[in-house]
Amino acid sequence: MKLQEYTSSSHNFEECMKCTVCTAYCPVLQVNPLYPGPKQAGPDGERLRLKDPFFFNYALKYCLNCKRCEVACPSGVKVADLIQAARIKYDNSPVKWRDRMLASTDFMGHLARPFAPVVNAVTGLGVTKTMMDAMFKIDRRRTFPSYSARSFEGWMGRHEKEQAAFPEQVAYFHGCYVNYNNPRLGKDLVKVLNALGVGVQLLEKEKCCGIAMITNGMKTEATKNANHNVKVLSKAVDKGLMVLTTSSTCTLTLRDEYPSLLAVDNSAVRDFVIMATRFIYERLEKGAELHFKPDFHKKVAYHTPCHMEKLGWGVFSEKMLRMIPGVEFTMLDSACCGIAGTYGFKRENYEASQAIGKQLFDQIKTVNPDVVACDCETCKWQIEMSTGYPVTNPISILAEAIETNKD
Amino acid sequence: MKFNTVIIGGGLAGLTAGISLQMAGKSTAIISEGQNALHFFSGSLESMEEAPQRVVDLFAQAGISLHYNPGYRLMPMGTFKKSTLSLEDISLFPETKIGNKALIVSFSGYHDFFCGFLQEGLEKQGVQCRVQLLSLPELEHLEKSPSEMRSVQIARTMDLVWENVVREIRILLRDEDTVILPQVFGLKDTSVLSRIRQGIPAQVVFTGTLPPSVPGIRTQMLLKRRYELLGGTYLMGDQATGAHIHDGSIHSIVTHNLGNHFMEAENFILASGSFFSKGLRSNPFEISEPVFGLDVEQADDRSDWYNPEFMREQPYMKYGVTTDASLHAIKGGEPIKNLFAIGSILGETRPELGTGGGLAIRSALEVADQILKQTAE
Amino acid sequence: MNNNEFDVIIIGGGITGAGTQRDCAMRGLRTLLIERSDIATGATGRNHGLLHSGARYAVNDPESAEECIKENMILRRIASHCVDETDGLFITLPEDDLAYQQTFVDACRKAGISAEIIDPELAKRLEPSVNPELTGAVRVPDGSVDPFRLCAANMLDAKLHGGQVRLHTTVTGFIREGDTIKGVHTRNLITGEERDFYAPVTVNAGGIWGHDIAALAGVNIGMFPAKGALLVFAHRVNNMVINRCRKPSNADILVPGDTVCIIGTTSTRIPFDECDNVSVTPDEVTLLITEGAKMTPSLSSTRILRAYAGVRPLVSADNDPSGRNISRGIVCLDHEERDGLKGFITITGGKLMTYRLMAEIATDAVCRKLAVQKACETADIPLPGSEEGSYEAVAQKIWEKPSTAQKAAAARMGSRASRIRTRDRLDEALICECEEVSVGEVKNAIERLDASTLTDLRRRTRIGMGTCQGEFCACRAAGLLAKAHGCIDKERDDLKEFLQERWKGNFPIGWGDTLREAEYTQWVYKHVLGL
Repeated sequence: MKLQEYTSSSHNFEECMKCTVCTAYCPVLQVNPLYPGPKQAGPDGERLRLKDPFFFNYALKYCLNCKRCEVACPSGVKVADLIQAARIKYDNSPVKWRDRMLASTDFMGHLARPFAPVVNAVTGLGVTKTMMDAMFKIDRRRTFPSYSARSFEGWMGRHEKEQAAFPEQVAYFHGCYVNYNNPRLGKDLVKVLNALGVGVQLLEKEKCCGIAMITNGMKTEATKNANHNVKVLSKAVDKGLMVLTTSSTCTLTLRDEYPSLLAVDNSAVRDFVIMATRFIYERLEKGAELHFKPDFHKKVAYHTPCHMEKLGWGVFSEKMLRMIPGVEFTMLDSACCGIAGTYGFKRENYEASQAIGKQLFDQIKTVNPDVVACDCETCKWQIEMSTGYPVTNPISILAEAIETNKD
Repeated sequence: MKFNTVIIGGGLAGLTAGISLQMAGKSTAIISEGQNALHFFSGSLESMEEAPQRVVDLFAQAGISLHYNPGYRLMPMGTFKKSTLSLEDISLFPETKIGNKALIVSFSGYHDFFCGFLQEGLEKQGVQCRVQLLSLPELEHLEKSPSEMRSVQIARTMDLVWENVVREIRILLRDEDTVILPQVFGLKDTSVLSRIRQGIPAQVVFTGTLPPSVPGIRTQMLLKRRYELLGGTYLMGDQATGAHIHDGSIHSIVTHNLGNHFMEAENFILASGSFFSKGLRSNPFEISEPVFGLDVEQADDRSDWYNPEFMREQPYMKYGVTTDASLHAIKGGEPIKNLFAIGSILGETRPELGTGGGLAIRSALEVADQILKQTAE
Repeated sequence: MNNNEFDVIIIGGGITGAGTQRDCAMRGLRTLLIERSDIATGATGRNHGLLHSGARYAVNDPESAEECIKENMILRRIASHCVDETDGLFITLPEDDLAYQQTFVDACRKAGISAEIIDPELAKRLEPSVNPELTGAVRVPDGSVDPFRLCAANMLDAKLHGGQVRLHTTVTGFIREGDTIKGVHTRNLITGEERDFYAPVTVNAGGIWGHDIAALAGVNIGMFPAKGALLVFAHRVNNMVINRCRKPSNADILVPGDTVCIIGTTSTRIPFDECDNVSVTPDEVTLLITEGAKMTPSLSSTRILRAYAGVRPLVSADNDPSGRNISRGIVCLDHEERDGLKGFITITGGKLMTYRLMAEIATDAVCRKLAVQKACETADIPLPGSEEGSYEAVAQKIWEKPSTAQKAAAARMGSRASRIRTRDRLDEALICECEEVSVGEVKNAIERLDASTLTDLRRRTRIGMGTCQGEFCACRAAGLLAKAHGCIDKERDDLKEFLQERWKGNFPIGWGDTLREAEYTQWVYKHVLGL
């Protein structure tokens, strides 16, 4: 190799030109003066941290890992990765109980699901919210996602044979949210894929993707989940299956956060994990046909979740929705809703969270759609709570718009 | 995905081409590796000695009013620069004199606007100056952060509290005929600029700050919005990593985010900028174009790339990809039939098209016209 | 007593001059230091910043080696805020003769330098950036030292002991009565003011320029300018000093210093008239990267911030064209004894590492002339800033919950960082974002450390030394300087000079991200700001 031949730096943070563009797009910086901002927290801080970990700044915890700095960066610096990696490496403060609870979506869902009606009623109660606020610093103004009484995995178990009958198969990484809170979305995906002649199967026992663990400082637990998931994903990929997803955050985590933040090698499976909207759009583009309801009409405003923006795949959801006859489509300005997974649930972040999302909420109210479409479950909770407009995954909108033999 | 034209680069050149083609009903996509040089836009378009109505209209339809008024504008270092076509933020004067007495206003704790240099520069021109720093309670949250008393963050607040600034200035104003303010107004709402001008009983001159440029970000935002409203597909944060070339034409390009989902088109436009924007890449041995491996005009010996005097013209800045008469990009000495190069990736290889913003717009329009003409034939 | 009379005048604001002034001032002398430019502008600020253990000299120059290890231990004590105790490795690569290792270790031990042969596997764990193919490693007590900080601290201490410092002031001639130097004629290069100063003893501590100063006084010291080129990389690739375990040669030392690391050096004889304007050639750049990458492969793909060169002030002894076989030994010339010129002493040779010893020798000579008996205390009393231990402790003591910029200030200023603790929140705003330098720290350097230009500020605070090389901080700091000095017109020229000085170090390595950054900077200053 000739010296200095390919690029001047193999150290990504050195590609920062100090142009400050990232700071203009950081949603946290706009509302929280305690946060040093992506440039200081990322590439600038990295040089100092390499000198001595003493220069690590605990205020990096205010980064909500939305990755908008990375999308905006003209130099390709992985700003958010630098920040999250620094947190993983240097922040050795113990994980709070509250954060552990919020991060363990899988475990919590598993516990809560059998008692869903009770849990939902209780978490909705004023007294419970006050208690959670006082005990765990989970903001009382939050609406908690409700749990479904029956898990999606259970439903799939009952439809295994029928799905296996389709000549073409895909695997589905449904994530905790579909499993415990919204099995409807999973069923919608199955409906659409079946209509395209594709059968759906589960992975061999997936685990939570682990993003909430990563952002809450639970690296060991997250790595454990990552290793497990890569293993079960490999099994599916080895069988020649594509793995579809309906959550942009899970997708980004499986594809990009595993190698860059947890050093878990996913190279064998990465390219086979894609959002369902991409899969479906590609099918429709190649001429596959769906039977749309003739009288379907919906005014849809699409919100690009931060991690979808980072994946760069909002275009697939957009183009897929635009293909549905009767959809009146508006693209909302791409901006963070403020929830960032568990971030907005914490009492200390509530005000910031709502302030970050305000621009988006105002635009939704102006557009006044029938439904807001978006590929992220936590955005859904935030937008529904903050605007009152219903929020649905694009897959569910498509499912509603098509006719199948079963309907 | 299939388009009529795929454009690599979402800055001034790429957006101008994209908007022009969308307006003519062509489907296009723009791939933009992050934000672009518009974020450092000075507010005046270089080498625009005349103002084609078409350009003014194109910007006006996006909500950006350009005004043509050959003259001088006040630079942040207190100097004057010749300018013609500018954003409404920029005041242009027939001579290098802006008035008799000026009040220069900034914010305490704001280090990216240079009252001292402005004062000294203007006093040399015989303008009597007074500097006043405002301490607004609304900016206290920014003062708390050591790194964020910066143009965009201030501008966000100013969109909400500009009226307070006007009120303060009215109190401060004595017999000055001119008020000089940093360009931190009208980030989202351009009407703020004219409302400030109306509210202050003196001529108001908005002057540049250290980057990012507030008028530049606004321009980028409005052009992008216009492009998307026309149905254009703007892929922000994606990067063209390679191309499939058959028989001297580009068939499709590969991007980082879309992976094996290739972007196909009849035409491709390379508007990826110069070195900063990574349109051109350099190592100790050569300067190259990374996506297609196009021919780049350059001096062979690295020592000839630079002038040791910082402020002198730098040879490397003139280098660019080579093109034929109709701006087709050249690879291995042969033009690629459906690939055009526009904007600053041309360097100064096409001096007749000018430099900077003028080059971006002129080359973009020329290529858009050619694409439309081809299809018409 | 007139305010232009002193006991001793020291010419030269490098580390030798600053150290000599400190020593003289601590022995109760009234001192004046005159420097034609700024502190540490010569060889002092243009080397590796290596806190030599002496190991490098052990085989060929045992005397220097012994001096180094003694001074090394002293500097750890008295200059803790300037020193980074990293330790160092002497590695053997497959192309080197492993047998040299034993010769080397024996020589080190003889000189009193602890040198421990360690397993190459352990070396890789201790310093992961090292070439994994190494066949041998020796651990020695090398470290790094910030020459600017060290020089500023010595000068500050001299001032705290009543010394006066005149920077940007050149000696235009000597005041001579018969065979005695009585004082100097000077001119301030900024204001043009001409003044005479008187003292019974003048010390020439001008480094390589000491040759010209001596000539001005009518005596000849045969000096030998040897250029050494170095490269600064954009971050700390290594955390231990890495040396080649072989006969000293080109580009065989990589030193981590503050947020960067530095590879060097080369050695080329140059004529005297080039000393003021040395530049790095493309061949030297290639050599430094090629050789550097042999020790630390990742250097071949690490961003280079700048290239610079210094001139070693060697006293010529023979006609060796490389200059490498000349002892770096200390030369103190009493010109009364040597040339019959009274009241004039030259202190030269030596190296950054042994500055304190050089200062002690020179001050002893001064004291002999003045019949002053007081003993040297510079080896025992810490420099201002180094009184309170590690920067971690200092930062926490001053601020309780220090921000990154405050931690960085403590690392640069040591206990003197308490001077920038302020109630004014606006003073916490950052001027330099790469190195985290606040308004307060810049103000302190202007008010207390004699910084009058941007380049002066850079040496005292590290503004403009980071990745962007002064892209934004230069004009922010220029605003503060203009305000402090009330001289805006000059500040505009100062800004241009600063940017020119940065560019001088950038274009020899102008490719990749460095070229991108340069394009951006040139664009901002010319087109956006209108400089």
